[in-house]
Amino acid sequence: MLTCVWCGRAFAPAITVTMIWQWRPLPQPALCKTCRDRLTPISPQHCPQCGRQQTTVEVCRDCRRWQDSLYNRAVYRYDAGMKAYMQQYKFQGDYRLRLGLQAALRTALDRMDYDILVPIPIDERTWQTRGFNQVTGWLTGQHFQQALAVTATHKDRPQSAKTRQERLLTPQPFELVTGASDLLVNQRVLLLDDVYTTGRTLRHAAQQIYLGGAKAVTSLTLAR
Amino acid sequence: MTAFSDLFGRRSPVPLPGAPGMVTSHAIAAVGQRWQCQRCNQWIAATDRLPNGDWYCRTCLQLGRLTSRDRLYTIPEPNRFARLVAGGLTWHGQLSPLQMQAAQAVRKHALGGQRQLLWAVTGAGKTEIVYPALADALARGWRVAWVSPRIDVCLELAPRLQRDFGGVEQCVLYGGQPVPYHYCQLTICTTHQLLRFDQAFDWIIVDEVDAFPLATSPMLQVAIDRAQKAQGSCLYLTATPGERLQREIKQRKLAVTYLPLRYHGYLLPRLQLKISWRWRQQLRRGRLPAGLQRQLRLWWTTRRPFLVFVPHVADLPVVMAVLMQAGLSGGTTVHAADPDRQAKVQAFREGHYHFLLTTTILERGVTFPKVAVAILGADDPVFSTAALVQIAGRVGRLASDPGGQVLACCHSNARHVQRARAMITRLNRQGRRQGGRPC
Ligand SMILES: [Zn+2]
Ligand SMILES: [Zn+2]
Ligand SMILES: [Zn+2]
Repeated sequence: MLTCVWCGRAFAPAITVTMIWQWRPLPQPALCKTCRDRLTPISPQHCPQCGRQQTTVEVCRDCRRWQDSLYNRAVYRYDAGMKAYMQQYKFQGDYRLRLGLQAALRTALDRMDYDILVPIPIDERTWQTRGFNQVTGWLTGQHFQQALAVTATHKDRPQSAKTRQERLLTPQPFELVTGASDLLVNQRVLLLDDVYTTGRTLRHAAQQIYLGGAKAVTSLTLAR
Repeated sequence: MTAFSDLFGRRSPVPLPGAPGMVTSHAIAAVGQRWQCQRCNQWIAATDRLPNGDWYCRTCLQLGRLTSRDRLYTIPEPNRFARLVAGGLTWHGQLSPLQMQAAQAVRKHALGGQRQLLWAVTGAGKTEIVYPALADALARGWRVAWVSPRIDVCLELAPRLQRDFGGVEQCVLYGGQPVPYHYCQLTICTTHQLLRFDQAFDWIIVDEVDAFPLATSPMLQVAIDRAQKAQGSCLYLTATPGERLQREIKQRKLAVTYLPLRYHGYLLPRLQLKISWRWRQQLRRGRLPAGLQRQLRLWWTTRRPFLVFVPHVADLPVVMAVLMQAGLSGGTTVHAADPDRQAKVQAFREGHYHFLLTTTILERGVTFPKVAVAILGADDPVFSTAALVQIAGRVGRLASDPGGQVLACCHSNARHVQRARAMITRLNRQGRRQGGRPC
């Protein structure tokens, strides 16, 4: 029996024939079935630019308004279940919940094509109070470069406290760390973030990465 | 008075600079090689360390995360309350002679600072029995908490105490409460909320002491002990004390007051057993046990409101579908995580639903007039002996309607069903000696 990191209940992991057939160490799921079912994976029917779940594969309205060529993929829908997860993990600061989605993120990262992984950074105050970067918490040994930092002058309310209009008007919050250009030049960079809401944050980040000389920037978010 | 009173007997991670007499301690302290949360007393798992080097407590996370960087601040409880007339009691009801006897015993034990239990059958009027002792305690300037492990119990209790103790300042605390905490003499809260207090209360009343999760949580036991002053005491209330309390009574570690008779003087309704062979298989084929269906239809056509208890949340939609198919409309389902739970319970009480289909969450602390009850799968282990006695106790609460049926449908003859029947029989035998009438 395993203990679910989210609800704390004991559960027996489901073992399928293929898992035994593959003859590898069995993966230890961190979430029970009930908790896994609280999250909704995004199906292949999604916006080809931002990765949002929809009923067609046409570019969505939000993306048409941006008029650019962003490429983002998301693992889960940002629905009530995902909000509850984020509430406990990120806002209440339950670091152990990171274990719940590491496996899903590993699978998603394996599907992306890139040379360098750059997680979206958190500012110094959040580091002191929350104690962890919620994005790197999901990584399990994948190599990444902390090429971006939040600018020291950037004092702002959290994105989640703003209206859509306010978010879109947010000034550039990121800068490249010293020596970042040496890493980025001519590389294909994948940005990693927790939630795609308006796409403002990722576009700010991509802009800086391009300034550092990257030849392509795509992104992956846990939720959209 | 300034807001310094917010720290009286409280443990808060937010200091009030300049507060006189404020004492402070680490929120998470190193004990030998391990780390222990000073709010909930639980050990921190070796893996619960943050990348910035801090430790954090998962156990009491719901009250706001504490890390090894935090400190807790307290001002020792000064009992700074205005003098009350008649202990703030504004209730003008009458206790029956039996209730009065029990009330006097409770009051004697309370004033003597004894740990005690009031073992009163469901529908005995245990809340009102505590009133004389509570009024006395408040008149003496005691700080009192009335707590329960069940949020429903707190929510049903709070308006009653506000009405019946209109002269006392009160506050109600639970996860997601709409009004912030303020210092006052009478606090109504869930047992979880006691983790925020430190030697604050002279007297703590623990309502439904045997209910989940208190009975199985050492953390909550600690919370009660620490929220109590060194010379304070507590009163446990329940109709179905667990084995631990019963043992303490036998060992004379716990004073006890019995009240085996309901306030209206009628005996408890008995559990009627219905053997429902393979009811789950029948359900899968879209049928209810025949006896149960007949009974439910009778209640439905005679407009008697009823509760149907099922073992698991997953059973709710299945049973609901079968009931709908049988033409029994106008009901709804309620379970613990239901966002509309409070509203549905209230609507049922007001007669907007014919019936509620539910799980053990409605086993206690809620009163519906004239209700009948059926338990499907009473032999399932989720229904403990105490749960069955409590469920049966939902019936016959009104003096004008003391009867009513409790149907227990079982696939097997389980021991805890027999125990529940035996407990009701035993209580009724004692009740009859006190002059109880069969209904
Ligand atoms: Zn779970
Ligand atoms: Zn899009
Ligand atoms: Zn704790």
